[in-house]
Amino acid sequence: MPSKKAAGRVIALVGVGTLAVGLSACAGGSNDAGDDAASSGPVTITYMHRLPDGEGMTPVDDIVAKWNKEHPDIQVKATKFDGAASEMILKLETDIKAGSGPCLAQIGYSEVPGMYVKGLLQDVTTEAGKYADNYSAGAFGMMKVGDKVVGLPQDTGPLVYFYNATAFKKLGLTVPTTMDELAADAATASKDGKYVAAFTPDEAQNWLSAQAAAAGDTWFGASDDKWQVNTQGTGSQQVSALWQGLIDDKQVFVGDRWGDAFTKALTDGSLIGHVGAAWEAGFLLDPLDGTESEGQWRVAQLPTFGTDAMTGPDGGSGVSVMKGCEYPEQAMEFNNWFNTQVDDLTSQGLVVAAKGTPTTPTKMKKQFGDQDVLSELATATQNLNPDFPYMPGFSALSTMNETAAKAGSGDVPVSDIFTTAQTTAVSTIKDLGLPVAGN
Amino acid sequence: MAQLAPTTTATSSSGVVRRRRRVPAADELPLSMAPKPALRAVAIVVLVIACLYFLVPVYWLVVASTKSNADLSTTFGFWFSGKNSLIDNYNSLMSWTQGLFWRWVGNSLLYSTVAGVLGTLFSVMAGYAIAKFAFPGKKIAVGVIMGGLLLPVALLTVPLYLEFHTLGLVNTIWAIIIPSAVSPFGVFLGMVYAQSSVPTELIEAARIDGANEARIFFTIVLRLLAPAMVTIFLFIFVATWNNFLLPLLMVSSADLKPVTLGLYGMMSYFAPVKGAVMLGALLGVLPLVILFFALQRYWRAGMAAGAVKG
Amino acid sequence: MTTVATRPGTRRRGRGIRREGLHGWLFMAPFAVLFVVVFLIPIIVSVREAFYSQVPSGGGLFGGGELVDTFVGFDNLVTAATSGAFWLGMGRVLVYAAFQIPVMIIVALGLALLLDSLLVRRVAFFRMAFFLPYAIPGVIAAMMWLYLYTPEVSPFMQFLPAGTDFMAPGTILASMANMTTWTYTGYNMLIFLAALQAIPHDLYEAARLDGASGWRIATRIKVPLVRNAALLAVLLSIIGTVQLFNEPMIMESANSWMGKAYTPMMLTYNSLMGQVSPSGNGPASAFSLLMAVVAGAMAVIYALVQRRKA
Repeated sequence: MPSKKAAGRVIALVGVGTLAVGLSACAGGSNDAGDDAASSGPVTITYMHRLPDGEGMTPVDDIVAKWNKEHPDIQVKATKFDGAASEMILKLETDIKAGSGPCLAQIGYSEVPGMYVKGLLQDVTTEAGKYADNYSAGAFGMMKVGDKVVGLPQDTGPLVYFYNATAFKKLGLTVPTTMDELAADAATASKDGKYVAAFTPDEAQNWLSAQAAAAGDTWFGASDDKWQVNTQGTGSQQVSALWQGLIDDKQVFVGDRWGDAFTKALTDGSLIGHVGAAWEAGFLLDPLDGTESEGQWRVAQLPTFGTDAMTGPDGGSGVSVMKGCEYPEQAMEFNNWFNTQVDDLTSQGLVVAAKGTPTTPTKMKKQFGDQDVLSELATATQNLNPDFPYMPGFSALSTMNETAAKAGSGDVPVSDIFTTAQTTAVSTIKDLGLPVAGN
Repeated sequence: MAQLAPTTTATSSSGVVRRRRRVPAADELPLSMAPKPALRAVAIVVLVIACLYFLVPVYWLVVASTKSNADLSTTFGFWFSGKNSLIDNYNSLMSWTQGLFWRWVGNSLLYSTVAGVLGTLFSVMAGYAIAKFAFPGKKIAVGVIMGGLLLPVALLTVPLYLEFHTLGLVNTIWAIIIPSAVSPFGVFLGMVYAQSSVPTELIEAARIDGANEARIFFTIVLRLLAPAMVTIFLFIFVATWNNFLLPLLMVSSADLKPVTLGLYGMMSYFAPVKGAVMLGALLGVLPLVILFFALQRYWRAGMAAGAVKG
Repeated sequence: MTTVATRPGTRRRGRGIRREGLHGWLFMAPFAVLFVVVFLIPIIVSVREAFYSQVPSGGGLFGGGELVDTFVGFDNLVTAATSGAFWLGMGRVLVYAAFQIPVMIIVALGLALLLDSLLVRRVAFFRMAFFLPYAIPGVIAAMMWLYLYTPEVSPFMQFLPAGTDFMAPGTILASMANMTTWTYTGYNMLIFLAALQAIPHDLYEAARLDGASGWRIATRIKVPLVRNAALLAVLLSIIGTVQLFNEPMIMESANSWMGKAYTPMMLTYNSLMGQVSPSGNGPASAFSLLMAVVAGAMAVIYALVQRRKA
């Protein structure tokens, strides 16, 4: 009868399940304790990352295996986190609260102050001092919270300018070195229906703040032991004016950076220039592979806002030592070694923060017409504005994206984005219970 | 003589004779009430339109999984591009998942099946209890379970994680199976179906005959509730399969991950190989389709039971 | 277990009632235990969180790098209740619910009736086809719908008047409603189908003998008998819509103008993730408590209205 079969099947399945459990419980995941209890045995360091580990990249596990072979006394276990940055922060917070957090974790620069305020990062200033010389000053500075250092930088995201050299030549455009030249190029190109830049609201938070930094602004400072927030300084106003002009005259592509419309604009040739982060070089031109536009693009330094060569940080992360790590010294030793594995990290698509220039990979050379892309990007890293710290809770400035979308469709002026940044920043710092100067 | 036999065909001495009169199967209308062909045609048209609505996006998915990223934004969505990137996408999928893709599918199968079986059993037991038994505290229990539905599950994930951490269950298969097997919704479904499908007289009669409760449950009730159980099982199976927030927090070992979590990881990258991700998802949907058809018989079991009632 | 001999039709007394109570709890037990572990305890923890806040212990710019769990009474709840963003979002989802739920339930019921009407043979295929959308993982459905809705690349654009924008402020709720309907109609249809299976077929025989047409059978017999299942489906849909999250999250990833608090659940989740201020466990729990209260109120109102109709 079906019922007996059903019952029998149920019991069989449960039995199988239990058996599988029994077997896998022996082999199954271990508790993610950061450290080994034995004092004489090898030290185990856990490292949580969210590096892509994609096709054609040297897997993180392989890199770590190299270290493990040469350092039997310090064994490292790397785990890849499969979600977005904000989810990883939640997991780190929860794990550390539960007492089983990793020793080292990848943290975006803009998240570092917030994580410190939450009590999740360890002060490793003395350790870090040993390795400071290996890294670009701008990047190293981003691992500082006040005067304490909490880890080492891994990769950077200075803004650079990508452009299609062939299309530029065809239209008689010069590669812009200042933002005024960029605006002029935009006017010329738009007559032919081409755009030399894209206004991307879904990236406004990091992208516009980076431009403000490139224009020399500092958004978050301190005086009197209170936070001073000014997102509407001269630099920001310059940025605002630039994009307002382009949007008003319809001389810029308006659309999300990660939307399908952007890819389409790239492939159909209407987008011939892009102000983007250095790490975009790893995949920006992938849709053009095999088309006639392959190999036509180049990368150049960000057009300046009238100052000397300076660019701003758009993303990038470092590796921090987490609270509760019992072996910060060994952890930092591995940290430094890992972040100086320049070629391997480059294969993961990172623009490394460590000094020195890795060789440009073949794929990148092919896409950029044999240009030595990575030396250009290394120059950009050196040009990072050294004084652009983030506030705790910077991620709440996602409200900028909301306003940016409206600005992109012309409903509000671009300067409103920076006003939104100001109000959100002040109220966020207040909500965190930290002292902030009034307005 | 042969004419009165309830068979569809019968051989007579003169060879195979096709019967005109045949007894309809249990799920068919009696011949005298057979619907007009026009009505049947209308029904089919409606169903086909519904089919198009539900399946056209799935068709897009299938086509898209054969395309490269560039093709996705340049070629017409509902037909293939000239270049078949299916193999490329498959290789990308394997590479991005460090070769663990099929292992993850196996994991998902394990989690979803065990959670589905346990969850269905427990839900139906609880639903049956609520529907057919009077016990102290029943109203409170029902209210509490209902209340459990009101709070968004995402908020409960972090406290759940901390709790499981204390119990030492994180990063094990139970971290996913146990929470997934608890389905308040399943209990209410079970309750509704038990109320309508299980006649109390039948149970009373069995009790009088001397059967104990467990026997009654496993031999009578489960049979009557078969279609309900299949429904609840499918819901729990799919919900467990597609759940990624729970495994995201609970599981860190690569070889314990369920497949949707792995795909989510691929999507979290700035420039995901979309075709590969979609291919991964389609490959993941296959077990469900197979399962669905394999469970057809249990739907019929309930129907047969319903037909002989009363 | 020993059985109690009772004459048919008599109420159990004394030992019988206690035994019934015991048996009731025994059947409830597995679910009850797991429910306490997986739901009740996290709910209690989560509710407690709403009354606490993480406050920097030290002074200075970074609060001394240490947070302290501080009791703040009703502060979080007041902030939540006076949050304009919260109520704006709640207004949106309630409007959404008012339109989307009736459409979906009616279509699901209609399809279930059609499949149960014996008008068509290949029921299993249609059942699978309609349920398949629910099985597609959320991340994949996200990619799919974004693609189908983006004007520059959508294959539908060829067949629609130029300038049709699925993702404009005036149309986006409808576009999301379409996504929800697409995903969950099959799901609700299965609930109805399982309930329809329970109806004894002799009811239909009797009605046919009385000369009732298929339509009358459907409306006079089938629909009333699946009322409880319908009630459950609608209640669950109401709760699900108050907690609307997946569809707006997907839309927001391509439409920054929506902001991170378009629906209350987005606000809650992003508050937990620190993307929205006030952020943290305390505010997030407060928001979700408020959501639960509203969802509960809606559910109760609906249940009462239904009861009055009956």
